Amino acid sequence: MKKIIVLLIVLFIICGCSNENVKNEVNVLNWSSYIPYSIIDDFERETGIKVNYGTYSSNEELLAKISSSNEGVYDLIFPSDYMIDLMIGKDMIEKIDIKELENFKNINPMFLNQDFDKNNEYSLPFLAATSVIAVNRNNIKDEINSYNDLLNSKYKNNIVLIDDQRIIVGMSLLANNYDMNDIDKNHIEEGKKWLLKLNNNVKAFDSDSPKTFLITNEVDIGVIWNAEAIIAKNYNKNIEIVYPKDGFALSLDNYAIVKCSRNKKNAYKFIDYLLREDINKKITEEYPYINTTISGINMKTEELLNVLKNSTYVKNIGSSISLYDKVWAQIK
Amino acid sequence: MKKEQSMFKFIFTFPVLVYTFILILLPLLYILFLSFCKSDSYGGIIYTFTLSNYLNIFDITYIKMFIKSSLIAILATFICILISYPFALVLRTKSKHIQNLCTKLIMVPFLTNSLIRTYGWIILLRKNGIINTALINSGIIYTPLSLMYNRIGIIIGMVYTLLPFMLLPVCSSVLEIDNNIIEAAKDLGASKIQVFKNIILPQTLSGVFNGSLMVFMPAIGYFFITDILGGGKIMIIGNLIKNQFLTARNWPFGSAIAIFLIIITIILIKIYKRLGGKMDDLGGF
Repeated sequence: MKKIIVLLIVLFIICGCSNENVKNEVNVLNWSSYIPYSIIDDFERETGIKVNYGTYSSNEELLAKISSSNEGVYDLIFPSDYMIDLMIGKDMIEKIDIKELENFKNINPMFLNQDFDKNNEYSLPFLAATSVIAVNRNNIKDEINSYNDLLNSKYKNNIVLIDDQRIIVGMSLLANNYDMNDIDKNHIEEGKKWLLKLNNNVKAFDSDSPKTFLITNEVDIGVIWNAEAIIAKNYNKNIEIVYPKDGFALSLDNYAIVKCSRNKKNAYKFIDYLLREDINKKITEEYPYINTTISGINMKTEELLNVLKNSTYVKNIGSSISLYDKVWAQIK
Repeated sequence: MKKEQSMFKFIFTFPVLVYTFILILLPLLYILFLSFCKSDSYGGIIYTFTLSNYLNIFDITYIKMFIKSSLIAILATFICILISYPFALVLRTKSKHIQNLCTKLIMVPFLTNSLIRTYGWIILLRKNGIINTALINSGIIYTPLSLMYNRIGIIIGMVYTLLPFMLLPVCSSVLEIDNNIIEAAKDLGASKIQVFKNIILPQTLSGVFNGSLMVFMPAIGYFFITDILGGGKIMIIGNLIKNQFLTARNWPFGSAIAIFLIIITIILIKIYKRLGGKMDDLGGF
């Protein structure tokens, strides 16, 4: 038994930055349903680099995966805005060298130099998403342009919400004219009361596929990500997408290279490939998030300006997240 | 000779020992250790001793959630007993062949992943799902029933997923009863109710308790059922633990709740032993 323990300890000690990998591969960890698999196959065929592709479904899951694995296990990841901020703070990601990227020029400057990484030293924009209200106009005729409109008792059991405490508690803060990232106890308490009122109208919280609820007529209203709303609209053209006037959440997912990556060159090649005009277009054709390149832009400039102006990033609020977590436990 | 035998024993038990040590005992100890640590604002762990995670559990919000979870789990357990016990009693009267076949059939659902089976229920239960469509088309109801995205959906899911864990121990304890004893009781003039109360029930209680434990504990923790069939509207302890690890970034608090659940399990087993249950019966079927 002693020998095993010694062996385990030795295994734990042997980790840390080591040299470039000899194998021609790249280890990518990305959101689920974000890049069509055909694109990865094409990249492998074109370059001969093997892509080891894994997925995650929340920023926190990504954080847990990176911090619990040895350095060098993952090369390329796609954290959102606040997670970039957090990962820079924890020294988990490398600086990005834009000279390695031929297609850097294709990135839409509107998405560069954001608050969480002022000069894009560590990250480059990949895709963006906003939370929107989707309304099935076949069944709902009333005017809906703010969150408070959702409190109408007519909509009992008729709303689906994203199952995400930051977005939903944030929504309740916006509805009460506070900032989405407010950490004032009293403001959050007000938000909680608002959510308890809304609760009667909520049929379900779902992050995996809230569009299904709208497509199958299970509900008529959803506060969901724009890409989900667009896919639902493809099934039912009477679904209207509303940008609430109280404001809404913007989430920007970014390319980032993990500290001590052993396949940096290949990671750059993969980023460069995804930034290519034809490839980038394919991604947002299949998953209609907001394209952040110049060539692939899939939103009218006016709409995009409006989105960027009225939206707020979810920010890293440190230990105050426990306040949000408690509200979450109280409304469910 | 003797040495050779112990060598054999060692070779055969070694993989199991390693497995239990590395995959069960070590992680559990790590969780226990974590539950006394603090978490920093980045979701990291600060290695200073604190009891605050355990004290946090007794916050009114979480106590309410414990009660809510327990009620759901107790109801699911109770329904499982109501289904399993009569089934076992009927099965007793059938031939060995049918008994074997039925117990094997109970195992069949295990061949498919429980998550997929849970998704299958959506197709049956939703507003324009198979059950509602059938009921409306046959004129029995006019507006669709709310069968899911509420407590009913959760109970259906829990009972369906966990029923085999009740059926198997209850069946094995009911089938084990010696027929001669029942015959003797009847010969001595016992009524059917007396036979059930004095002979069948006492001999099968351990099976029922065993099954109850194996239904109740997972029913507190199966967060995917509340997420899918409850529409994420109701949180049980399992969701709370999951949230601490995945969204609230508070691993120590999540660990403390997990340890708290283990303590509850140990207490339940202690009660079981007090009531005269044997540990062997808990071992399985």
